[in-house]
Amino acid sequence: MTDSPFVEVEGLHYSRGETSIFRGVDMAIPRGRITAIMGPSGTGKTTLLKLIGGQLTPDAGRVRIAGEDVHALSRKALFRLRRRMGMLFQSGALFSDLDVYENVAFPLRVHTDLPESMIRDLVLLKLQAVGLRGARQLMPAELSGGMARRVALARAIALDPELILYDEPFVGQDPISMGVLVQLIRRLNDALGLTAVVVSHDIKETLSIADYVYVIADGQVMARGAPADLDVDRDPRVRQFVHGEPDGPVPFHYPARDFYADLLGAGGPK
Amino acid sequence: MKRSKVMELGVGLFMLAGILGLVFLGLRVSGLSLERPASSFELEANFANIGGLKPRARVTMAGVTVGRVQSIELDTDWYDAHVVMELDGSLEDTLPEDTTAAILTSGLLGEQYIGLSVGGAPETLGDGDRIRDTQSALVLEELIQQFVSNMAKE
Amino acid sequence: MIDHIVRLGRWGCETLERLGDAGIFLAQSMFGVPSAEGVRLWLRQMHFVGVMSLAIVLVSGLFIGMVLALQGYTILVDFGAEDALGQMVALSLLRELAPVVAALLFAGRAGSALTAEIGLMKATEQLTSMEMIGVDPLRRVVAPRLWAGFVALPLLTIGFGVVGVWGGQLVGVQWLGVFEGSYWGNMQASVDFVADVGNGLLKSLVFALVVTWIAVYQGYALVPTSEGISRATTRTVVYASLAVLGLDFVLTAVMFGGLS
Repeated sequence: MTDSPFVEVEGLHYSRGETSIFRGVDMAIPRGRITAIMGPSGTGKTTLLKLIGGQLTPDAGRVRIAGEDVHALSRKALFRLRRRMGMLFQSGALFSDLDVYENVAFPLRVHTDLPESMIRDLVLLKLQAVGLRGARQLMPAELSGGMARRVALARAIALDPELILYDEPFVGQDPISMGVLVQLIRRLNDALGLTAVVVSHDIKETLSIADYVYVIADGQVMARGAPADLDVDRDPRVRQFVHGEPDGPVPFHYPARDFYADLLGAGGPK
Repeated sequence: MKRSKVMELGVGLFMLAGILGLVFLGLRVSGLSLERPASSFELEANFANIGGLKPRARVTMAGVTVGRVQSIELDTDWYDAHVVMELDGSLEDTLPEDTTAAILTSGLLGEQYIGLSVGGAPETLGDGDRIRDTQSALVLEELIQQFVSNMAKE
Repeated sequence: MIDHIVRLGRWGCETLERLGDAGIFLAQSMFGVPSAEGVRLWLRQMHFVGVMSLAIVLVSGLFIGMVLALQGYTILVDFGAEDALGQMVALSLLRELAPVVAALLFAGRAGSALTAEIGLMKATEQLTSMEMIGVDPLRRVVAPRLWAGFVALPLLTIGFGVVGVWGGQLVGVQWLGVFEGSYWGNMQASVDFVADVGNGLLKSLVFALVVTWIAVYQGYALVPTSEGISRATTRTVVYASLAVLGLDFVLTAVMFGGLS
């Protein structure tokens, strides 16, 4: 395998208000691989990405990227570090006042002093990679959800980052664009050799591209391993999640008092 | 690119209109005048009663505005009102020494202002000089009082 | 009983905290090195915030000037003092109505739009993604809007005043027959450039700061849901209007009240 992991998460604790979201999460994300983080919705997968990106500060624990402690950095150094990262958001998060071309050019314009012709070449190259070179003059409002996500992907890789974070890349996509995205993520990784973190609860697609998988639930890492090893894991919560059983250790019902008593109980809350 | 040119032009026109508006407010509404000479000189005058005269009131001569009242304060030596006027610099050393200053009212209820009328003395008034011959404001109550007492005498 | 006191205390602390947060927000976004790119962004916001509000502000100014002349005339004519119409129209416009009404219109027209726009950018994760690209959204999104607001509202206030004075002239001189010379003459005699025009502009500068700050902060700090956006937009208009009217009293008391 490779040398030291690119991203290290050690003993991460985080809580929002009264609810604790992470209670001691440890992870090592190897360089040049696709690592998937999976878990039922509401377990804070997106929060984990925000912690890695330095947008949130943990209550305890550390996140290190390429040896640098993300949360000990100054604002300036943090922004410098972020240039080496790309992030694909759930909604795409394209800038609605810029067209497709300018959206992809945005990171280049901000962080480099390249001449216009060079920017043009780079933008067209990235758009070609996601198959949307012909859509360059469209506004984000004119794109379908799948296309918007592909443009966002082109923007995320515009600066050739070393690390790319995917936040639910498959959610709400039709089978075709889902397939396109799966293929794109795999191909980008093989071609550019970048380190990728995929947060998702789409099991089949994620397992098909991931090199390594973490399953989190209840604020902790429940299982880890290569996709092939994961099915045989004995933890019932992991099994329920991977096989998609509706009820199990992760209950179908939101905590409530006894159904029978609730129906008959007069004078209770509505 | 073309749209942003139009936009920039619009913003430019907007700011230009704002500045022109300010010029309008200055010249037309508050009566600043561009050709006001930088030079001016001060005259002083003491009045027994200034009535409702305020700083910045006009100083006129034959009805033409030639300056403004700069400050009004109580003269504690004589217990009357000490008024400093700022006049057009071109009048410096041209007004005769026996020029009189009177506090007048424009219309029945209008603002009060100072009217200067020239005398015939050979010496002239320079910067910081004092007008000795002054005429106080007419106070309506005093006039009525006089009128009533005159009536009583008859 | 104790519960109420606890709640009151908590509310007080939270209000203070929000105020502090808004202050830090203002400081962080305002003081940045301006770049060529920043000027371009500022221009775009000037267009959006200033030029687009011009029509409503000018039309309102015209009508308010006309109404002032009409109302003022009917009162002044009883005292035979209709010659003072120009002075009345100009002073009430420049000292009071132009800064206040322009600021209220600005809060409704531009302030609410700023809140909604920034709120929508937040809801669609555009602000977060900007941060991840390594661009500070305070500099890129917030600062141009703040500066555009600061410059645009005083300009709009000037426009309001000019059109209002002209509208007053239209009704007073052209229609009601006040002598034109006394309309302008009395106005020029009583309006002082520094004391009246200057103080009016100072007021509108303060209002611009407060209204834009409230609008942008409400947008930046809102809960990113559709309900949150609509609530924040309403809050912008309500808070900004109250702040303008309250501050106007304070400023008027300091500028014109009691001091001769």
